[in-house]
This record gives sequence, C-alpha cells and structure tokens, in this order.
Amino acid sequence: METLINTPLAGEILDEIIEKHRGKPGMLLTTLEEAQEKNPLKYLPGETLVEVSGKLNIPYTQVYSVATFYSYFNLTPQGKHTVVVCRGTACHTKGSKGLLDDVTALLGIRRDVDGADSSFTTSDNLFTVRTVACFGQCAQSPVVEVDGVIHSNVNAQKLLKIMSRIKNGKTEKK
Amino acid sequence: MRPSEIKILQEQHRGRILPVVPMILVGMGTCGIGNGADAVYARIMRQISEDGIECKLKQTGCFGFCAEEPVVMLYRPGAPMLVYSKVNEKDAARIVESIGKDRIYRNKLLCRIDKWDFLTSKVEFGQGYAELPHWDEIPFFKGQQKVVLRHAGLIDPEEILDYIAVGGYNALARVLSTVEPADVVNEVIESKLRGRGGAGFPTGVKWGIMQKQESGQKYIICNADEGDPGAYMNRNEIESDPHMLIEGMLIGAYAMGADSGIAYVRAEYPLAVKRLKRAIQQAGDLGLLGENILGSGLNFRLDVVEGAGAFVCGEETALIASIEGKAGRPTPRPPYPASRGLYGKPTNINNVETWCNVPVIMEKGSAWFKAIGTEKSAGTKVFSLVGKVKNTGLVELPLGSRLEQFVFSIGGGTGTSRRVKAVQTGGPSGGCIPLAHFSTPVDYESLNGIGAIMGSGGMVVMDQDNCMVDVARYFLEFNAGESCGKCTPCREGLAQALAILTRITRGQGTIVDLAMLELLGGVIKDSSLCALGQTAPNPVTTTLKYFRHEYEEHIREKRCHAGTCESLFPALCENSCPLHMDIPGYIELIKEERWEDAFELTLRDNPLPGTLGRICHFHCQMRCRRDMLDQPVSQGEIHRYLADTIYQLGKEEDIYRKLIKEKLPPTGKRVAIVGAGPAGLTAAFYLVRLGHDVTVYDAMPEAGGILRYGIPQYRLPQELLQKEIKMIGRLGVKFKMNRRLGGNLSLDELKKESDAIFLAIGAWKDVALNIPGEHAKGVFAGSDVLKEMSMGKIPQIGQQIVIVGAGNVAVDASRSLLRLGKEVILVYRREKKDMPANAVEMSEAEEEQIKFRFLSAPHEIVADSSGFVRALRIEKMRPGDIDRSGRRNPVSTGLFEEVPCDSVILAIGERVSSEELAESMSLTGDGRIAVDRFTFRTSDPAIYAGGDAVSGPATAAEAMGMAKRAVAAIDKVLMNKERFHLLSREFHYGNEVPQNPKASPKNVARRLSVRDRVNNFNEISFGFTGEQARNEVERCLRCDVRCQ
Repeated sequence: METLINTPLAGEILDEIIEKHRGKPGMLLTTLEEAQEKNPLKYLPGETLVEVSGKLNIPYTQVYSVATFYSYFNLTPQGKHTVVVCRGTACHTKGSKGLLDDVTALLGIRRDVDGADSSFTTSDNLFTVRTVACFGQCAQSPVVEVDGVIHSNVNAQKLLKIMSRIKNGKTEKK
Repeated sequence: MRPSEIKILQEQHRGRILPVVPMILVGMGTCGIGNGADAVYARIMRQISEDGIECKLKQTGCFGFCAEEPVVMLYRPGAPMLVYSKVNEKDAARIVESIGKDRIYRNKLLCRIDKWDFLTSKVEFGQGYAELPHWDEIPFFKGQQKVVLRHAGLIDPEEILDYIAVGGYNALARVLSTVEPADVVNEVIESKLRGRGGAGFPTGVKWGIMQKQESGQKYIICNADEGDPGAYMNRNEIESDPHMLIEGMLIGAYAMGADSGIAYVRAEYPLAVKRLKRAIQQAGDLGLLGENILGSGLNFRLDVVEGAGAFVCGEETALIASIEGKAGRPTPRPPYPASRGLYGKPTNINNVETWCNVPVIMEKGSAWFKAIGTEKSAGTKVFSLVGKVKNTGLVELPLGSRLEQFVFSIGGGTGTSRRVKAVQTGGPSGGCIPLAHFSTPVDYESLNGIGAIMGSGGMVVMDQDNCMVDVARYFLEFNAGESCGKCTPCREGLAQALAILTRITRGQGTIVDLAMLELLGGVIKDSSLCALGQTAPNPVTTTLKYFRHEYEEHIREKRCHAGTCESLFPALCENSCPLHMDIPGYIELIKEERWEDAFELTLRDNPLPGTLGRICHFHCQMRCRRDMLDQPVSQGEIHRYLADTIYQLGKEEDIYRKLIKEKLPPTGKRVAIVGAGPAGLTAAFYLVRLGHDVTVYDAMPEAGGILRYGIPQYRLPQELLQKEIKMIGRLGVKFKMNRRLGGNLSLDELKKESDAIFLAIGAWKDVALNIPGEHAKGVFAGSDVLKEMSMGKIPQIGQQIVIVGAGNVAVDASRSLLRLGKEVILVYRREKKDMPANAVEMSEAEEEQIKFRFLSAPHEIVADSSGFVRALRIEKMRPGDIDRSGRRNPVSTGLFEEVPCDSVILAIGERVSSEELAESMSLTGDGRIAVDRFTFRTSDPAIYAGGDAVSGPATAAEAMGMAKRAVAAIDKVLMNKERFHLLSREFHYGNEVPQNPKASPKNVARRLSVRDRVNNFNEISFGFTGEQARNEVERCLRCDVRCQ
C-alpha cells in the first residue's frame, strides 16, 4: 500500500499553466482544470487555489466559489484508480443505479442513500468512485469509465471482471 | 488565401474522397472507440502493411448507427461503398484481404452507398451489389435526411482538406466575397431556422438584434455544454465534423460584426475538445481564422473553454458567468446577451447544431431549407434515440415527423418481448409521453401541446419494466443537484419535491402528497429565475398526468409493479406474481424439508395450487434474476411438485382443517358471487374465511369456469381441479350451479338477498370474424368446441379443420382436435413469434406436428352449393412496419390461396358477454365491466366485479389476483376496517444467500413423448421428481434477503 504525500503543484508548473491561459476568455476555469489535471492526486489543494488567486488577481472567495460550484473540481485527493458510473437517463433506464450500488458495495464503501456526496474514496486511497450526470455515450448504456477508459454495456458481471482486473494490478491503458 | 482558392483546393483534393486506390474508413467517434474501433483500426493498418496492399486508411466520425459500432466502410474505385457493422479484428483482417480479390467479404455487411449528397457537393461511388440494401433502405436510416450530419462518418474530422474536398468553406468564401452582412442575416431569417438548443427562438431575429448593435467589441459563443443526460448529438457533431461548426461561426461573426468567438464545450467530451482544437489550429494555418480572413478584412479568433460539470451552464447567462470566471449562476433577463453579454459586450449565443445549419442555409438557400419540416419548424433535427430500443443511435429527421416513426420504424421497438411504455423527451426539462400519444409530431409546438418539450433532442425509450415514479424522482434528483441555488423556488422547492417523491418510492406516500407535488410544481415553474427551475417540474407533471395510476399504486397499494422501487416488494418474482405468492418463502421452506409449512404458505396465497402449478403463465419466471446467470428458476414446477406431493401423502387434510378452524367469526353478511371460475373461486375462498356467508352461482353444471371448460385435460386433469374446488366447498362455500344471469338468475333478486355481489363472469363470447361466409354450415366458435369436449362430448365437426387464431383457445382447440384424429391447420395473420399463446403450448403443438400457416389472413369462408364449408380463402400477408404492440403490422399482398376444409373454427379472441348487464351498470366500449381501480366497485355500489369480465381475456393468475384484491376491498366496506391481513400468518425460515452460485441449467420435467400422447388426453407433463425439486430449489438466489 502506498502512502500518499499531499503535494500541491510545484511553483514553476503552476506558473506555466497560469501564463498559458492569462487573458484568454474563461481563463480561471481553464487554469483550474489544467492545474487539477497536472496534480498527481488529481485535485486542487488549498495552496493552489491561493496561488491562482494571487497570480491572476482574482479575489480568493471567487476562486473558492468556482472551485466548489463545479462538480468537476476535486478538493480532496483522489484515489489511485477512478471509477466513474454514468447516471444519465439512458444509463439509469438500463439500471446504472444498481451498478453504482454494486461497485460501492464491492469496495466496502458505505454510502448514504440520499446523501449529498457524489464521490467516495476508499480508506486506502486506492479507489475513488464518482458519478457523472452523462457521458454522452447513451447508445452503449450502461456506461462506466475506469481510469479514463470507457466501458460500454456494463452489467454486474462485467463490472466484477473489470474491478478484479484492477485489483490484481493490471492497470487500464489510456 | 483568396476565396477562389477554396474551390481550387477542393478540386485538388478530391482524391481524398474519391481516391484512385481502395480506401477503408473506420468510424472513430467516442462510441466507436468505446466499442473497440481503435483496435480495429490498428489491425487494419497492420494488415495493409503486412499484405502490401495499396489502400488508404482513414479515421472518420460517427455515421450515426451507434448500436452497430464499430462501423467500417470499404471503398473500391467504381464500386459502391460497402458498409460493415459490429466489426471485430478478425472481420477487419478479412475486409483488407478481400480488396485484392474478386469476391467481397460478406459477413457483417450492413448496406451499400452508391452515391452521397454532401449538400455542398455530390459524389458517386459506383453501381452494383443490388442485392445489398442501400443505406437509406435499412430501417434505421429509412426516412432520415442528413443535413447536419451530411459529412459525419464519411470524412476525417482531423483533416481540414477532407472538409474542403467535399465542398466545405465554399459557403464562407462566397459569403465573404459577395454577400453583405445584413443580407446574411436576412437569409437566416428567411430560412426560419430556430434555436436547436431547445428554446427554439428564431435564430435570424437574434442575429438581427446583434447586427444592429453599434460596432465595437462583440462576441459570439457556441453552446456545446450539452448537459441533458441522454443527449449526445452535439458531441457527435463536433467529433465528426468540427469544421462545420467553425464555418458556421465564421459566417455568423461576419454577419454580426464579432471578432471573437468562444466554444464552451463540456469537460466530459475530451475527444470533441481535442478535435475542435485541432480543427481550429488547421483552419488558422490555412488563414481561415485570424486576421483578414480570405482577404475580406474579417478578423476572427475562436477559443475553446471547457465546462466543468455544471448542467446549469447550458443556460446562456450562466454560461457567460462561467466564462467570466464566476460560478455559473443565471442572471435575470433583460438585459439579454445581445445587448449586454460576455464582459458586458453584445454577445450572441447559439447551440452547436444551430451554427452547423448555417453553412447549409447559405449554400442551398433559405427556400431549400424551409421546404423541409413544417410551417413553423423548418429544417431537420438530430435526435439521440436511446434506452429500451433496439436500434439506438443518432437520428436526423425533418421536424414534424411523428414519434412512432422514431420509436418503431427507425428504432425497431424494444427488440425484446417487453412492450414500449413511454418516451422521455427533452431531458430533465422534458416530459414522459405515453404510447397513446405517439402519433404526435415532433417539433417545437406539438410536444408542448401535450405537456412535454422537444428540448435539445434526447429521446429515451422506456418499457413496462421502468417505473415512472422512479423516473420522475430520478429527474428531480438531477435537477435538485444541478440547481445553482440562487433562487428560493428552485433551490427549496425542488428539494422538497424530491423528499416527497423519495417517500413515495419508499411506500410512505399519501394521497395528499400528489396534490402537494402539483402545487409545488406550479409555484416552482412560475417563479424560478431561469429555465432550469422553470422546467424542472415537467417530468413530475407529465408523469402525474399520464401515469397517475402508478403513483396511486405506490401510495395505495404500496406496490411498484415495474419492479424498480425496491422498498415496495420483497423480490421480483413475488412482485410479478399476480397473487403475490411468497415464492422465496416456500422455496426456502422446501429447502428445509418443511413440506407442510411450504404448502400452507402457498395455500394462503393461492387457493388452487396444483392447478396453477400446471397452467400458469409463470409471470415470476419472466423476471427471475437467475436469468442473468443461466436460466430462471422453475418456480412453477416446484410449486406444482409441492402440491402434488402433499396431495399424494394426504397431508392437505390437516392444513385445510386448520384453515377451517381459523375462519373469522361469522359476520352475518351475505355475499353472492356470480361465476365459479378462477376469480369467483378465489373470491369465495377468502370471503368465507373472513367469516362471510358465501354463495357461488354459475351457469354451467360444474364449477371451474374456464379451468373446467376451456383447458384440455392433457394440461389440467379434471380430477385435480375438482379436488381443489371441493376443498373450497369444505370451507363453507355454497355452490348453486346451472344458474345463468338474465335467465334463471336475477341481479335484482341477488341484490335483495345479499350485502354485496361479486361478478366474475369471465369473457366467454367469441369475437366474430366478420368475413363473408361466416354463417355457412360448419363454422364453430373455438370456446364452444372446447366446452363440448370438456363435457365429454365429441363435437359434430368435420375431418379437415382450419382454425383461425393464435391464442391459447386456438392452440388448445387444435391440439384437442388432433387427439380426436382430425386433420388440423392453424391459420394466423402474423408471424409465429407474434403469437400470444403460451410458449410451452406452442412448442408442444409444434412437436405434435400441428400445421401452421403464418402471415395468412382469413378472407372468405367458401361454401359449396348446399351451404357447407368447403374451403377457407386466405390472403398472404407480408410483415410491414412495427406497430404500437411492438409487432409488425401485416400488410396485404393481394395474393390469395384457398385452403380446402370442411370445418372452420374461429378463435380470434373473446369478449365479455355483458348484454344483460348493460342496463344495470357501466360497461367499457368493448363490453367489459367498468370498475374503480382500487375498490373494484362497479357503477352500482353494491356490486363489485373482477377477473376477465373486467380486464378482458387475461391469465388465470391475473384473474385470481384481482379477485384477492377485490375481496380485501369488499371486506373493508362491509366491516369498516382492514382485516385481510388476518388471513395470513408469519412463517420463520432461514435467510442464507447462496454465496457462489455456479451456472446450472434449470431442471426440466419429463413429458410424454409425442407418440404416446397424440391420440389421448392423458396429462403430458409428469412434473418434477423429488430429486429434481430438491435441485431446483437450491438454484434460488434469495433476492428477498436484505442486509440491515
């Protein structure tokens, strides 16, 4: 089991991102998106938000407001593997709620049925399970994305196979 | 570059579209890749280099038929394009190998394309392969008109020269050099193009407002935030043809005087973002973006901003706020973006698809465009057809096409045995449209008229296994979660509505909740700031309007018939059983070898266990979860074995005595039941145990109804039925036979002597065929023939018999007559798979070699000179379009045939014989007795009804289930309190769930061989052996066990 070190982005990397987008429309959104992507734990630590606020000269409250408003942004470290279950209409019609229940049960995550959380990370930080409103892959519902790879027509059996492949150490190629 | 150079480039690069060597195109949209198209592409590339074949390989976007991905097209010069579907790596290798050969690879061939109209140019591939359907002849594509999707799947989206080679950017060149901005706007106004994002505002008018703003900084924005779950048209439009969008925006920028454009694409579409950025790069390199475009003086730059997962940012003011680096919260309008938008400047926002229509309008002209579609809704629209539909994919049809065309003609129905129930359109702002309204045209206004909206084009098909209350809750959850939180009606209102709906799905709802939902919906709709809130109640209001009975079932019966809301049923089998038998319960008790307890448990729920164990349709098995592993559990056979064994051992005596002792104290109320069929017998069984004085009247000499007089002995031996009926008699039920309503039984007399009457008269009248010759001698009604045979008489019928019909009566009649040595032919106007008869019966009939004539509609009964039947004239039919029942409509071919025979039996359906009742109570249009859904009261408050007399011909289990519910309702009225639950008791048993079930096929009971059964009426099935029963119960997965 790896111990995770909380690392905000190194200064130069963040500067590079900020300068790349400075002055363009939507610069705050694009900056935060890229900063999150480049962070090894795929999240935005507080320090990053503060730096962005200072360098772009945007009030911290506004940066915080944006970071918390959009579901794409993670303010806590993500697990090594991300499982995203699509909860779009076509997928829901074909039973994706059951898949979400199954995958969280498989990983031993206790979920509040009507809780506000839409993202759950296992205590060993190996897996993060989250939902997305719609991947736009509706013809292949139900859809589950694992580590960036989209799997279509997923049922409980297929899901089990995918999860055990990952647990056995075979990572998905992007 | 000068405008004229575009034309030159187009000619120079024509070879990209019509090369002189063979070319393979692989669809590489996100769904294609998600289904392995990238592996297929790699394989083809390898094969080409290994085989040393001269062949180009191109990646394209998506052709639209997502259910058939990966799609590969093969072009050889002079021949039509061959389209292959569901291609795997092996197919890929074969396709490459076939290039050098004479014979084409035939496997996985979907269709051919002879020629294609790109609208900006035309191309002819070649003629030939007439035996293959042309692309627009296969059901999915038939009727589609590809305007927006004109290039998708046929060009490389990552190559600008492909786009130019088919005529792209020509419209731009022409506009920049010869058309004034104001005239561009006029053309768009003339075309009657309306916003394709869903609101449908006239695009030209919007552009006009922008154009008239004083010059200065102006912005145009492409809204590619496509947040509607279930909609992915915009994703495909960008992934397959990004230049179409760029060209549209360039034309718009020129017309409106903007120099800066932003494409706001949601982050969940990484491939679309990548392809768009690359297209922008390439356009810039060719001088089509940047400064002084095509020498016209137009400056335009296009930036891509990715959304970050907020559905509300599809709303234009929220989108603008998002780009400005704020949280995406809508602002009141006015001011509209056209006067004050992004960074306070005039801004025009249009949906992706709206922009994509612009180059076509400028190329072909507004007259051409508005000739498509309807008066108020011009042009085509792309829809995503998904959900419980066979042919899923992207469908582009002229606006005004009817819903049924989408779902049945193009979609092919559900593709399973389940029936379509509704279509959800317009995403979370839309509504659920029931089957009954499928003839509604799809355009901006017509759907509004029935309470739904067209929205951005998402169409999710739902079948009978979808719970509409759950659908409403799902959308509310989505909308509540996506609410920006700014205004109270949306933020608080949706949260409260969600809480109410959640309680209803948990069985904690009340009737007051429905009124509250409607009230809340109205308030939220009227007072929300933006369209998210204003339309969020739509899913709830439409489902309340069209599926109110589902809400009422959840509230009043605490049941979810679709089997979705898990708090409302223990297991899918129990839920699907019309009698709600505790199936996991009796299976577990058998596992524990507690046979008497198991029998007692079934008997409390089902008064005719041996009978139903033989003849039921087994609704339980249709939903058994074990089907996902191997095959459903044979609950029916287990159930039958249980009853048979108990009867053999004589153990039923004790159990019946127990029930007799348990009877509730006499109530002094008298109930008369008319009809001793399944429904009547069931009602009697429960009413007498509740302590009432019960008398059953029936027109026939013996009790049993259709079980006695309609079902042949080889399926249900009479002794067994009589035994079970006798038991009901021992409980104290009085039977008065040979009494017929309207004859020697008067309803008024009954009313005087009874406190309540239950009518269970069934549906016994055969429907007339209404063809010439129906009154010839030798024409019989199916149920009459069965009745005669069940009474031991040999019907006075000829030797060569033709039976018209395909239900259980027709099949039962044909198999019975076969056993009397007759020659039997069964004639049906549809195909074998459409027959409503029991599947087991059908397969046994085939084994017995009953002759069938499918797709043959009865046309005339031909009689000889003395008036006796001598032949049935049939018309050959062919399967047409799929109709609302999900089956193909038979279409006349004009070809006739005469089938010689001396008797004709009509068995095309039954009706309720209700003429005597017409004056006493309300009947439905087809003669059934009208009752309240929950109280089972007819229009006369003292008279109740149930069974086939209310539902029309249905299964015995359904009739019995209805009777059971009716008894609970009757008793409640008579005694003023709920007592029905007093008739059951708790059984305690183990709750272990099988840990690692291994696949094992279901046990199958032994049956008589055909030789041993075709000349007698002996019971065909032997039922399970003890060993089989013990094995079968172990297969149950105990879905009813819940963890705490």
